[in-house]
Amino acid sequence: MAVPFCLMNGDGQGAPRGVGSGRQSIFSTFGAEAETLAGLTWWMTAGAVVIFVAVATLIVMALRARRNAITHQQGMRLVLWAGGIVPTVVLLSLLVSTLPQMRPIAIAPGDLRVTVEGEQFWWRIRYRPPGAAELVTANELRIPVGRTVALELEAGDVLHSFWVPGLAGKMDMVPGRTNTLVVRATRAGRFRGQCAEFCGLSHALMAFDVIAMEPAAFDRWLAERRGPARDGAATEAGARVFAAYGCAACHAVRGTNAAGTIGPDLTHIGARATLGAGILPMDADHLRRFVKDAPAVKPGARMPAYPHMTNDDATAIARWLESLT
Amino acid sequence: MSLHAQDDPQLRADQERRLRAVWAPPTGWFGRWTDVNNNRVGIWYTLTAFTFMLFAGVLALIMRTQLAAPGNDLVSASTFNQLFTLHGSMMMFLFAVPMFEAVAVILLPQLLGARDLPFPRLSAFGYWSFLIGGVFVGGSIFFNVAPDGGWFMYPPFTTRTDLSGLGADIWMLGLSFIEVSSVAAAVELIVGVLKTRPPGMRLNLMPLYAWYILVVAVMILFAFPPLIAGDILFEMERLLGWPFFDAAKGGDAILWQHLFWIFGHPEVYIVFLPSIALFAMMVPTFAQRHLLGYPWIVLAAVGTAFLSFGLWVHHMFTTGLPKISLAFFSAASEAVAIPTGIQIFVFIATMWAGRVTWSTPLLYAFGSIAIFVIGGLTGVMVAIAPFDWQAHDTYFIVAHLHYVLIGGTLIPLMGGLYYYWPLITGKKLSDRVGRTAFWFQFVGANLTFFPMHFSGLMGMPRRVFTYPAELGVGGLNMASTIGSYVFAVGVLLVCVDLARSPWRQKSPRNPWNAGTLEWLAHPDDEDWGIRSVPLITSRYPIWDQKNFVRNVDEGRFFLPDAQEGRRETIITSVLDARPVQVIRLGTPSAKPMVTAVALGSVFILTTYHLYWAALAGAVATLAMVLWWLWTGTAEIPEKEEKSIGHGLTVPLYCSGGSSAGWWAMFITMMADATAFSGLVFGYYFFWTRHDDFPPGGPGLDGPGAFWPMVALAVTLASWAMTVAARELNARGAEGAARGLLGAGAIASLAAIGAGLAGPMTTGLEPSLHVYPAIVWTLVIWTVAHNGVGAIMQLYTLARSIAGRMTPRYDADVRNITVYHHFMALTAIVTYATIGLFPGAGS
Amino acid sequence: MKNESPPHESREGDRPRGLRARILALRVTLWTLIVPPTVWAVHFLFCYLWVSVSCAKLGQFPRFTTAFVIGTGAALAIIVAAGAIAWVQSRTPGDPPPHDEGTDIDRLRFIAKSTLLLAGLSFVAVVFTAAPALMLTDCR
Repeated sequence: MAVPFCLMNGDGQGAPRGVGSGRQSIFSTFGAEAETLAGLTWWMTAGAVVIFVAVATLIVMALRARRNAITHQQGMRLVLWAGGIVPTVVLLSLLVSTLPQMRPIAIAPGDLRVTVEGEQFWWRIRYRPPGAAELVTANELRIPVGRTVALELEAGDVLHSFWVPGLAGKMDMVPGRTNTLVVRATRAGRFRGQCAEFCGLSHALMAFDVIAMEPAAFDRWLAERRGPARDGAATEAGARVFAAYGCAACHAVRGTNAAGTIGPDLTHIGARATLGAGILPMDADHLRRFVKDAPAVKPGARMPAYPHMTNDDATAIARWLESLT
Repeated sequence: MSLHAQDDPQLRADQERRLRAVWAPPTGWFGRWTDVNNNRVGIWYTLTAFTFMLFAGVLALIMRTQLAAPGNDLVSASTFNQLFTLHGSMMMFLFAVPMFEAVAVILLPQLLGARDLPFPRLSAFGYWSFLIGGVFVGGSIFFNVAPDGGWFMYPPFTTRTDLSGLGADIWMLGLSFIEVSSVAAAVELIVGVLKTRPPGMRLNLMPLYAWYILVVAVMILFAFPPLIAGDILFEMERLLGWPFFDAAKGGDAILWQHLFWIFGHPEVYIVFLPSIALFAMMVPTFAQRHLLGYPWIVLAAVGTAFLSFGLWVHHMFTTGLPKISLAFFSAASEAVAIPTGIQIFVFIATMWAGRVTWSTPLLYAFGSIAIFVIGGLTGVMVAIAPFDWQAHDTYFIVAHLHYVLIGGTLIPLMGGLYYYWPLITGKKLSDRVGRTAFWFQFVGANLTFFPMHFSGLMGMPRRVFTYPAELGVGGLNMASTIGSYVFAVGVLLVCVDLARSPWRQKSPRNPWNAGTLEWLAHPDDEDWGIRSVPLITSRYPIWDQKNFVRNVDEGRFFLPDAQEGRRETIITSVLDARPVQVIRLGTPSAKPMVTAVALGSVFILTTYHLYWAALAGAVATLAMVLWWLWTGTAEIPEKEEKSIGHGLTVPLYCSGGSSAGWWAMFITMMADATAFSGLVFGYYFFWTRHDDFPPGGPGLDGPGAFWPMVALAVTLASWAMTVAARELNARGAEGAARGLLGAGAIASLAAIGAGLAGPMTTGLEPSLHVYPAIVWTLVIWTVAHNGVGAIMQLYTLARSIAGRMTPRYDADVRNITVYHHFMALTAIVTYATIGLFPGAGS
Repeated sequence: MKNESPPHESREGDRPRGLRARILALRVTLWTLIVPPTVWAVHFLFCYLWVSVSCAKLGQFPRFTTAFVIGTGAALAIIVAAGAIAWVQSRTPGDPPPHDEGTDIDRLRFIAKSTLLLAGLSFVAVVFTAAPALMLTDCR
């Protein structure tokens, strides 16, 4: 099985611009916390380099010194200062200066809450804007720039970890617990996140896109998406094949009879940029392959293969899903 | 008797003949494997651990090949998951820890001028357990059933039998078996350091290696048992459906992470300190002077040991625990860098103040320090929680941990290999090949792991079988893959060098001109270990004590003979190493091997759910252990005391606090109590997770207060009878003592019934919820201990009736009293927790 | 270790008078060596358990209270005391450094010196542990 990753370069602001600036790098920041952490990374690295050079120099000097170059007392002074006092001061200052960075961003009652639930091997996403109906979707997270968003992280089956390096540090998703990660995007763009806690066969294939949008655009998007799939979606040929294969047992498509909750919500699947939780480009051909034989694309996925599904049926379902924008 | 008593060459030849006969290794195609001597067992142990390292290394090469390019499909996801799980598990459990024990088994007696470790058969048992468990776990990959949950086996992925198969059981049970043998080795090494030092080797003259071994063995004692407790909960869930880690039934996966990392972080120092200990031996040799700042090293070792138990949550920085909890562990993780740094500066200062003799082992030593320092500095970085939120579970961590383990364990061991090879084989390895191999390893390690810092920060999580080109880490991964092969060439060169060793010339004795006792070893070694046990007055006796080597060789020190035809070594006091006893050591025997096979069968058969066969194995194990103890321990000597030379006469039998056996029991029970505290921690952990604990309802009500209190009272009665039996026996009232031991055994058995009656009468159903499950676990742990207590009481009763225990020779009853002290403590904690803790009794 | 007799047993018969004399009469052993790091361990566990239990059961932990100050102060005081006793004993007169001979006095000075150093490390570690409790004061 060749691993069919999509190659989606050059898609807006998040595209790679050189080493360290991929869509999933801690240095291509678009969140308040990640910006602080990138700064922390740089100056700690600089400090580490200085210390390493100093220690290496001492080692070389010690090994090349003429015999008995220092006395017992001088040696002990070296141990006391270089081994004891200086590290104590450096480490204590490091600790004290970084402790405040552990405080999370404060949440206000009016802030947007989004529940993200890790499943083997995809993400269930529920937007819960204050005072409005909730929106269920999957595998693509959109957040407004400049607003505080509380991500409530849960897990359905096993441990996962929610990691969007450009946005903030990672936080685990633990069955039976709700962990809150508070984020604030600082610029718009399309970025990538990935599961960071080993979760099974397709752990490597559990990613998602994060799209930071201008607040007004985000509000429009949220209002639009709360509606059903586009008009007449239920009547098309593909919809009938979809129903005939029992896809509705696991998947929901609002505006049709499909209301399953085991698998990802497919209401606006055609509007997402990727398929299969961030691993394939969204087009009819990849959809057809995925529908017919999901385990071949994602080992260990709960969606079964349909070896007896005809190519025509698979194509019909794929065309229909692609049209759900 | 004075130094001159040994002037007669004929006398010396007779002594040597007797010693040679006593220490002659067993022969025959099977017989040779029944050897228990530390030299032989240590070498088997080392070679086995080295082989497992090579095997795990090959697994890593396959992984690196798979990851060379994005989207590669050399191996499937399933195979890849088995590869990384087995690579980590084998390197940790089958290489790093056993290798420390193996090296210590070889070196410690030599460093301490002892003829062998105090319990040679226990070492042999440890080795056979390790071999069986290791082959069982490692071999699983050939049947495509290797564990695949990562080396820390996080539930619920690994406890759900629909998601992970036999591999998880193989990991849990196979490695539990090895953990037991590690604890056994720790007991052996602690008693070895504390009680078998040569006369005069006070605490302040102990070789630093022995200090490190003492510290590390104590760490094993407190670090491994929590994992054993975790293993118990884990297998209870997998085999019986008790929902410790199942959130739907009140369980919590985080508990496993606590128990695992309470083991897992000290583990890092358990594998690091023994390698640093090798430096502490090499550096003075190649500086040709005493190590500077001996107390500083002791400070560093002891300080690291303590602090390392306050770091475990730094592996859990992203689990969503309150930030302030994380901050405590962040603080301790920063603090532990201080003692680590001190050790490095002690070595630097010693070289500076000394006269550097350049050599291959020294190259390895300082090369690995350079690598280790990088790992240490990234360690300080990831100890800062906010940075760890980014770095955790990425290739940055993979880079960090490999820098630490390669710089802090593997390459130091390679240096140790070049340094100590002449000690073991009498031959040096090739300097040229050694240096070439070093540079391959040094460059290879850096080329492999340095780029991983960047691939991690650029978004590559660990444990992925592939990655998209989009991440932009393809080039970095290719560099890592090339580096791993360069490193492999270095390791291969070392293997070639080792393989050519048999054809090399013998090197002179003490080829590095070292000052410590182990270099008394002669290229044409005799099996007796040391010709006579020296009186020590310096840290570097070969350098400082006049005519030292000659006096040892000519038997002018203690115990130069084996008149009674027994293997013997001297037991000394803990602080000042005054001779207190001569003990008779175990001789070659198949019992340790057969016991290991029997115990192994229990674990392996349980893996395949063959419970009746496993039970038979357990009975066989018990029978073997009793037979072994009956025939091989607390033997009544043919005379009260013997002369060890120089006018010193010491007893041949000790009991209680001055005997090695008592210490072994005490130390074992410390480990047992630690495992128990892991289970108790589980109870209170779940209590913090639930508002209603016990939850109440059918099958979920507490066990009541009545039966737990009865069980506690009966256990305490059994304890009191054991103590009274010890006292009466010592006063000569053997009949009364026997009566009390019998009654004590009946009380212990009654305590089993009373203990089980609590949860049974209230109908606690362990598969329903975590509360009944943890209560049952505590009760079963306690009553199982009652059962073992009864067996001990009956065993001691039988010893007394058989005349193998008398008022004068009463080690058995003194040793089981130690057990019963801990038994009483266990019962108090268990029954107070389940019967009296608020809400529990209702 | 009941068979252990500390060095200078003969002196034990004399009743020491005054604090200084009593401190001088105390003898460091392998057990006293681990007092300072044990104090760190107890303090560390106290902090961690106090915070986790109150966060888990109450949803918050009592803000920075006197109990915490007293606990930390007590821990530091015990460590300083252990260190002071060890310091006095490590200066027991005798041969010049590096004190690496097999005499009673060098053994005593060695354990005292090690205890002193451990007290230093433990002191620093307690300060490190106390820092988060001062700077982060809620359960988030």
